[in-house]
Amino acid sequence: MEAYKVLEVKQSVFDSNDKEAQQLREQLKKDGVFLLNLMSSPGSGKTTTLKRTIAALRDEMKIGVMEADIDSDVDAKAISETGAKAIQLHTGGMCHLDAAMTKQGLEGLGTEDVDFAILENVGNLVCPAEFDTGAIKNAMILSVPEGHDKPLKYPLMFSIVDVVLVNKIDVLPYFDFDMDKCREYVHMRNPKAEVIPISARTGEGMDAWYNWLRTEIKAFKENQ
Amino acid sequence: MHELGVISAMVKTIEEIIKEQGYTEVHKLVLEVGELSGIVPHYMEVCYPAAVYKTFMENSVLEMETIPGIVRCKDCGKEFNATAHDFTCPQCESHNMEILSGNDVMIKEIQCT
Repeated sequence: MEAYKVLEVKQSVFDSNDKEAQQLREQLKKDGVFLLNLMSSPGSGKTTTLKRTIAALRDEMKIGVMEADIDSDVDAKAISETGAKAIQLHTGGMCHLDAAMTKQGLEGLGTEDVDFAILENVGNLVCPAEFDTGAIKNAMILSVPEGHDKPLKYPLMFSIVDVVLVNKIDVLPYFDFDMDKCREYVHMRNPKAEVIPISARTGEGMDAWYNWLRTEIKAFKENQ
Repeated sequence: MHELGVISAMVKTIEEIIKEQGYTEVHKLVLEVGELSGIVPHYMEVCYPAAVYKTFMENSVLEMETIPGIVRCKDCGKEFNATAHDFTCPQCESHNMEILSGNDVMIKEIQCT
């Protein structure tokens, strides 16, 4: 009879991905590439927000975008119309991106002429929160029609992000969305998260978002 | 089927652990699944055979232990089971709480040769 060895481990199932993510982060620091992982539900306005962000910042920095979706390339097409470098990543049915896929994506994008890389993660508030992509900062978009109670329903997502963009504030009069409650619930999960109300459609509030990005990217470059 | 991605990530982690110790095949795996981890044990069981198919874990048995989701109310200090009380403090009805246990999915034990 074969001798079985019992290994007592006590290690997270995500350990391997967490290590790869850490290595990728170190590499990004060396290369001076600020990678932002942008997450949200489907339809919250990620691509619209990005298009406006690129238009506002493209004269200040070199921007590259990775669009992750289960299929199609409609988002990468929309982004490349802004003049930014963009590639489409297909996850092949997977509901999230992990560190290895992000690394491959960055290689495909080519970062030698990029200082601000954006990963538009798969639209989903569950799985992307569990997999560290190796990004320098994590952002998410919550849109007004989704409701202010989302931080209570998806606690992990809100606990790992550095900034929450509350999008579609132009339709606030038509929804029972309570901005104060939203802030309160976000801060319950994550006291450090910044909450920035925006409308990617009208441009309202977007300056605060651009300034957040400018500050973070500057701090990142200075710490290199 | 978010559990499939979690198992695929886990297979990579386990491969690293057993290789380091000089083993090649897993026969049994014991996981600790936290009630607040978002992982549903039933779906883990359903997709496990597909997720480990043609890997060094193909012939392994999966065993899971549930770790209760215990939280402490940040307003009144009461400790309670979050899922049993629907994330609301039974003493003061606050939603403001910190997680004490049950947030992770941990590999507890690997039986291998």
